[in-house]
Amino acid sequence: MPPVAFIIFSVIMLVFGVLVVVNRNPVASALSLVVSFLGLAALFVSLDAYFVGVVQILVYAGAVMVLFLFIIMLLDLKAEARRKINVVPMIGGCVLTAVLVLQLVSVLNTFEPGKKSLVEAPLDYAAAAAARPAVPEGKSDTIKRDLRENKLPDVRLLGEQLFTKFPFHLQIAGVLLLVSTVGVVILSKRELK
Amino acid sequence: MGNFLEAPYLLEAVVVVLGLALLMLEAFLPKADKRLVAYIALFGLAGVLVASFNMKAPENLEHSFWSFYATDNLAFFYKNIAVLATMLVIVMAIEYTPVLEKYVSQGSKQGGLGEFFCLPVFVCAGLMWMASAKEFITIFVSLETVTISFYVLVAYMRRNVGSLEAGVKYLILGALSTGFFVYGVTWVFGLTGETHLEKIGIALQGLEGSDSAVLFAFTLILVGLGFKVAAVPFHVWVPDVYQGAPTPVTAFLSVGSKAAGFIVATRILQPFLEMERLHSSFTTILVIVTGATILFGNFAAIPQTNFKRLLAYSSISHAGFLLLALTCTPDQFQLTPGQVVAFYLATYLLMTMLCFLVLTIVRRSTESDEIAAFSGLHRRSPFLAFALLIGVISLAGVPLTAGFLGKFFVFTLAIDSGRWILLAFAVVGAASGFYYYLKVARAMYWEEPTELAAIEISPLARLALLLLIIATIVFGVYPAPILGLLTN
Repeated sequence: MPPVAFIIFSVIMLVFGVLVVVNRNPVASALSLVVSFLGLAALFVSLDAYFVGVVQILVYAGAVMVLFLFIIMLLDLKAEARRKINVVPMIGGCVLTAVLVLQLVSVLNTFEPGKKSLVEAPLDYAAAAAARPAVPEGKSDTIKRDLRENKLPDVRLLGEQLFTKFPFHLQIAGVLLLVSTVGVVILSKRELK
Repeated sequence: MGNFLEAPYLLEAVVVVLGLALLMLEAFLPKADKRLVAYIALFGLAGVLVASFNMKAPENLEHSFWSFYATDNLAFFYKNIAVLATMLVIVMAIEYTPVLEKYVSQGSKQGGLGEFFCLPVFVCAGLMWMASAKEFITIFVSLETVTISFYVLVAYMRRNVGSLEAGVKYLILGALSTGFFVYGVTWVFGLTGETHLEKIGIALQGLEGSDSAVLFAFTLILVGLGFKVAAVPFHVWVPDVYQGAPTPVTAFLSVGSKAAGFIVATRILQPFLEMERLHSSFTTILVIVTGATILFGNFAAIPQTNFKRLLAYSSISHAGFLLLALTCTPDQFQLTPGQVVAFYLATYLLMTMLCFLVLTIVRRSTESDEIAAFSGLHRRSPFLAFALLIGVISLAGVPLTAGFLGKFFVFTLAIDSGRWILLAFAVVGAASGFYYYLKVARAMYWEEPTELAAIEISPLARLALLLLIIATIVFGVYPAPILGLLTN
């Protein structure tokens, strides 16, 4: 990806990210968040991570819509917009952020930049297909088939990782979701039995 | 994956199934006394505890699918701590039901209490996964299971402003610290291409190029861990959250969350500290955090008048002593820093749970957490006063109690590896500990009570208190059983 597009999308992401915090109107904040996610999704796509990019839009934009509904339902928008900014914590926050960014810049400065850009190192589908392990008789390797056809099977690769290397972690995440569902019901239900 | 009974995750699976069964029970028996759920949870966890002592850990997992899962003595030890802490928290929760009914149920009898007994069981499973995790993704998912359950538990008393405020604070700061932790993990992954701690250790040894990137990653991870174990300067949430949360949850945060944080810290710090080139830099960062934690935790505890808040600062100061052990590289001392930390946490569990159990019972009958509410406690209930006395003198580190031996091992380790400045801080901190812990003892024995009505104790709580008192004294004189579990 040419650096021009990288810069454009990064700027979109950062500017709208700042707007999320700066905006006094919660609805405007939520909308800025959507735009910021769009910029992030574009950056993922530029790194050949199409699936993550699409999920970023589907899941996060969807989640933000829900957030939106909550804002409209629960918050008093005018009172939120009138709230005064507390100067001292804000300056403190800005200083801390600036220190973190400076730190990051200094760390990145000591870093050797990569020798090749992504454009110069295209994906080698044939080599990747050849490196796939053999599958048992009667089964077909759809990932290998996609790679031979010069398609990137990113969803399949992700699924393969998830179910061969991390099935245990997936189940822990299931427990996590169960606990949070129970928690949401407990904390928000009008009358408990 | 072989026979289920030989699976390395067997105990955790049983705990999760227990939690699910309790949720079902709660859902399908709406008329039953909700405390039934708690009794079954206690019974089931006791079974798990007994089974864990009789289990033989599967070996040679390094090259199998389970290479991310530790089954060493340390992992089992921390699993026992998690189960024991959960059981004591459930005993406390049963004592706490009247307070919960007031702030949760609103009208309906025991409304919404069942989940309060179920959630700790899931937290327990999360703590047990953390005890075994030696790979960043495992650490992350189990850590989040624990933390998200705690967000719910802290804010559980939803008609109480203090509990809600504590919940919001914990949620926001917890999310921030998780962000730092994950960012640090991505840096480590970017540098080494590994999420597995042992492989990271090897990759770091042979790493060429910029040191500052490794230091940056280490610091970011330390921020996340510091939040979990309540180390200064990431402690700001501790006093408010501890004070606002329901007392059993505070006890759980103080013991369970801290213990799991320390086993993860022990495992994560190891590959970094083994990196010879940057060993001194990492140690310097740790030493600064440790020194600040010991001094701040102990000095800020001195002026406190609320017992729960006092225990919050005490929790910070104990985190300082534990971190001190982690900064050490022992020369001749036969226990490793990881083992000393585990021993300290086991004694910390006994004495802290003792204090919180007494606090729960006193809170129920006086509706106050202030130290003033403990005035003349020995006239109202000599047994409770004695239990709390044992608890606070053990926290202060009086000889012949379990707390003394924990501190003794830490100090010996510090002398052995020549951490003289930190040792001086620790001695000053421990000395000031005597003042603020014994303030509670003075209130109980030398001050006049405001009322004289005797305080009722349920048989279950009496049994738990009795066992904790005996354990605190016995392990203070004869620590061999705990050490045996650790070294074996």
